[in-house]
Amino acid sequence: MASRKKPMLKVIILGDSGVGKTSLMNQYVNKKFTTSYKATIGADFLTKEVLVDDRLVSMQLWDTAGQERFQSLGVAFYRGADCCVLVYDVNNAKSFDTLDSWRDEFLIQASPRDPDNFPFVVLGNKIDVEEKKRAISQKRAMGFCQSKGGIPYFETSAKEAVNVEQAFEIIARNALAQEESEEFTGDFQDPINIHLDNEASGCAC
Amino acid sequence: MSVSSRSTRDPIYTPPESPTGSYYDLSDDNELDYNTITHTSTGRSVKLLYSKSKVYVHPSASQKDNIAGFMALLQQKAPAGQSSSSSSASEASQVLLAWIPESALGDAYDTYVKVDLIDAESPPRQSYLVPPPPASYSTGSSSMGNYAFAIPVSQIYSMLIRPPNIGWWWGSLVINSRSGDSFPALFFHDSECASTIAQSKRRARKTFDPFGEDGRLFWGGDEVLRWLRRYVRVEKSQVEPMLYLVDPTKEDLVSFVTKSIVDLKINEGSSSAGAAMDPITKVFKEARWGLLERLTRVTQFTRRTAETILDSPQVPPQVRRLLKNPEVVNLQDEFDSARLYLARWAMGIAEQSEREHQRMIWTNRDIMELEDTDVGEFEILEMDTGRDAAKRKPLTLQEWNKWFDRHGKLTVTVDEVKDRVFHGGIEEGEARKEIWLWLLDVYPWDSTLDERIALISSKRDEYYRLKGKWWDDFERRSNDEYWRDQKNRIEKDVHRTDRNVPIFAGEDIPHPDQDSPYSEVGTNVHLEQMKDMLLTYNEYNTTLGYVQGMSDMLAPIYAVMQDDAVAFWAFVGFMERTERNFLRDQSGMRAQLVALDHLVQLMDPKLYAHLESADSTNFFFFFRMLLVWFKREFKWDDVLRLWEVLWTNFLSSQYHLFIALAILDRHRTVIMDHLRQFDEVLKYVNELSNTIDLKLTLIRAEALFKKFQRTVETVDRKRAAAQGKGKGVTQRRPVAARAGSSSANVTASGSSAATANGTCTVEDDGPSISDDLRKLLSREIMRPDPTASSAASASSKP
Ligand SMILES: Nc1nc2c(ncn2[C@@H]2O[C@H](COP(=O)(O)OP(=O)(O)OP(=O)(O)O)[C@@H](O)[C@H]2O)c(=O)[nH]1
Ligand SMILES: [Mg+2]
Repeated sequence: MASRKKPMLKVIILGDSGVGKTSLMNQYVNKKFTTSYKATIGADFLTKEVLVDDRLVSMQLWDTAGQERFQSLGVAFYRGADCCVLVYDVNNAKSFDTLDSWRDEFLIQASPRDPDNFPFVVLGNKIDVEEKKRAISQKRAMGFCQSKGGIPYFETSAKEAVNVEQAFEIIARNALAQEESEEFTGDFQDPINIHLDNEASGCAC
Repeated sequence: MSVSSRSTRDPIYTPPESPTGSYYDLSDDNELDYNTITHTSTGRSVKLLYSKSKVYVHPSASQKDNIAGFMALLQQKAPAGQSSSSSSASEASQVLLAWIPESALGDAYDTYVKVDLIDAESPPRQSYLVPPPPASYSTGSSSMGNYAFAIPVSQIYSMLIRPPNIGWWWGSLVINSRSGDSFPALFFHDSECASTIAQSKRRARKTFDPFGEDGRLFWGGDEVLRWLRRYVRVEKSQVEPMLYLVDPTKEDLVSFVTKSIVDLKINEGSSSAGAAMDPITKVFKEARWGLLERLTRVTQFTRRTAETILDSPQVPPQVRRLLKNPEVVNLQDEFDSARLYLARWAMGIAEQSEREHQRMIWTNRDIMELEDTDVGEFEILEMDTGRDAAKRKPLTLQEWNKWFDRHGKLTVTVDEVKDRVFHGGIEEGEARKEIWLWLLDVYPWDSTLDERIALISSKRDEYYRLKGKWWDDFERRSNDEYWRDQKNRIEKDVHRTDRNVPIFAGEDIPHPDQDSPYSEVGTNVHLEQMKDMLLTYNEYNTTLGYVQGMSDMLAPIYAVMQDDAVAFWAFVGFMERTERNFLRDQSGMRAQLVALDHLVQLMDPKLYAHLESADSTNFFFFFRMLLVWFKREFKWDDVLRLWEVLWTNFLSSQYHLFIALAILDRHRTVIMDHLRQFDEVLKYVNELSNTIDLKLTLIRAEALFKKFQRTVETVDRKRAAAQGKGKGVTQRRPVAARAGSSSANVTASGSSAATANGTCTVEDDGPSISDDLRKLLSREIMRPDPTASSAASASSKP
């Protein structure tokens, strides 16, 4: 029987606690939203098989706890990532302000070979909430994304499944492109191996 | 690609048309006329009522192996003596549902194509005659090599129908017969199928709605289902979402699958021998897609067989047989993740059968398993004695009250109380409410009743004083950034904590704060109390700040006490024990993960070696369990029981690490046989949530603790003896760097001989016990190391 070698893409979802990382991921993979997701402790991931331009790929979506304190342990997962999704809550200005530090932190810890071209995608979540609660305008968010080298930006609602599918399609596409470019450089790293030894040095706080 | 080209074929064969043009009254003569066509054993032909092209069988995971074919409805002649009455029952027995590979059709291929393209609502008026399908149902199920089949529609029991996933997956259909056979899964390659393409185009033109019945994208299977419904009643199962039942009984509809799984009993020796399919296989086959659906969340498995699990002694023979079933093997090849699922599933069944013979003694197997981990002798716990059985019942309030003298002073020793709670737990209700306050150090063990009454009243005042610090400070509440941030964090988590538990469910009061993100959803009084308590804890412990996980730890305490002031102090007692889990630098969590690392190295070197090879010795997959003391892994009632056991510190203040070890030990076979990478281990352990049997875990943990204790004693004794004999040239290796490092400072003798500086060797003095390990024997609560972090225990105690 022919072996089926399909690429495994590793995607890391980051953002402040409560912005909706777990909800987005579940909306995308399991097509449902419930208010009963608990705060994420530790880390978990979901896998989804997707077709990108007729190629079947497996996408592993890593969801970690949003509280800063736990990041020092989570950094081990960043390594080998093919795409990083930065999530904020459009009704919460602080969660937008921290995007930059999430991005920096990721780049430091994951240390991708070519940080300037590493694919990020920004999601402004919870757009279903009433307009008067909105804290960050689309214009402002797009300005940020542009200033960071043209990061794709989506406004989403995990609750009402708005733009979730579309956003993850771009995420998958960019991750695949990244994975392929890494492969070309010849230094293929198993994306899911992590090593504690290096982690001790990486206290994020 | 297997799409065979037909352009090179001989001139198109057109079957003779029925002279009457009528579908129903076709005479035998007509059929006999048709018999000039070859390759039918009976020399008869059948009418092709409906056909659908480009329905594939995928015999392997490789696209190359796909076999294109037709799905068809065929009408055979009524059996002799049975008139062709129009009663649907007899019609259903004459109509066959078939799948035939293109390559087997020969000249009839063009007829099939033609009928596919007719695209009518009902069978063609003209009769299209074709040879009978190559494999017939009556000769038995289709063999694995030959996928073609035909089955009278009346003999179809159920169908698993999986619509396509927005173009990324082919819709598929699996047919199960009444006699328990499953035919190969059929995949509808709609993008190649002329009729489906035409139909969906027409649909889109007509209604601008490309969606089928359930609002899903229209696909080939919809048509097959619609056609089938002409001959039989097809109903959706109310239990399994993708299961359709043919002419079902009422009972079938509501109880199918779920009931069979619940009823699934593994009775040793009673397995029905012979050809009859055992119930597990049946359930499994029918639940195939249901299973696979759940698999989508599972990690990727590298190509590996399930054979190893078959050899595991824990898996009952029936399950082992099932896993060897060619179809199941095929499934595992098709879907990498199926293997993990099956491994876990088999494990679950093993657990269940274990529970069934739940005797409170160690079975031989358990002992052997423990012996297998190569450390010393093992002492069987005296668990089956009469004394022990009584000790393992929950402590009741009545029993508890008897232990007090008339001043309300405890007359038994603290150890006796702890022993009792450690082994039996506490009855729910009033007993728990009272005794938890002792276990959590709110009440001193030597207090009198009067003292306790006074104490609780002053504690109550103290709570309200602390709460007043923020409650009465309007300025702070509106302008203090830090305070507001803390409030938001707490609120967001409280609203996500144990909402399935009745007192936390529902939103029956309006939110007090208009600006809160929850102002629209509302809240309830218990959620509000929880928020207040967590905010107030920040006044008590002014350096820690709210950390995720705390709300999980408070909820059970509050739910049991249902009194904010009292619950607050019990929570303080719990936090005393777990504060180091929440430190800013995470040093407390690291230390515990390292201790667990050492413990596994000592107790189960083989498993440890395996985890090392899987890059998993950071033990991060236990992070959640250790952070909130298994709150997310056990069901609510079990959490209450486990926590009261742990709070006793009866054997060790670090007993939670032995619970972790027991869980790991329980699953060591699966882990060692199947999990080769960190992500697999993490996923497997995360998904143990809500599957772990607490009772068995507690027993196992106790045995492991005793074994650990003996190991330490033995090592110490040997060491002392060696030194006594003057062979004391042996020297301890320098203690390896502690935090964060997975390097061994516990090494089995002989496995690494040279020390770091290379000057002295460790001779046969056995494993050494690290300080981290020795601490696990202590019953003293471990507090944050005051030098380790700025956020140490500088709490402003009242
Ligand atoms: N209105 C609305 N609420 C949402 C949406 N997505 C998430 N939420 C809610 O926001 C809260 C937090 O969602 P989570 O998905 O748990 O957030 P998270 O980012 O995973 O949080 P952490 O696990 O703590 O890092 C929950 O109460 C969700 O129900 C959304 O699109 N709209
Ligand atoms: Mg989350």
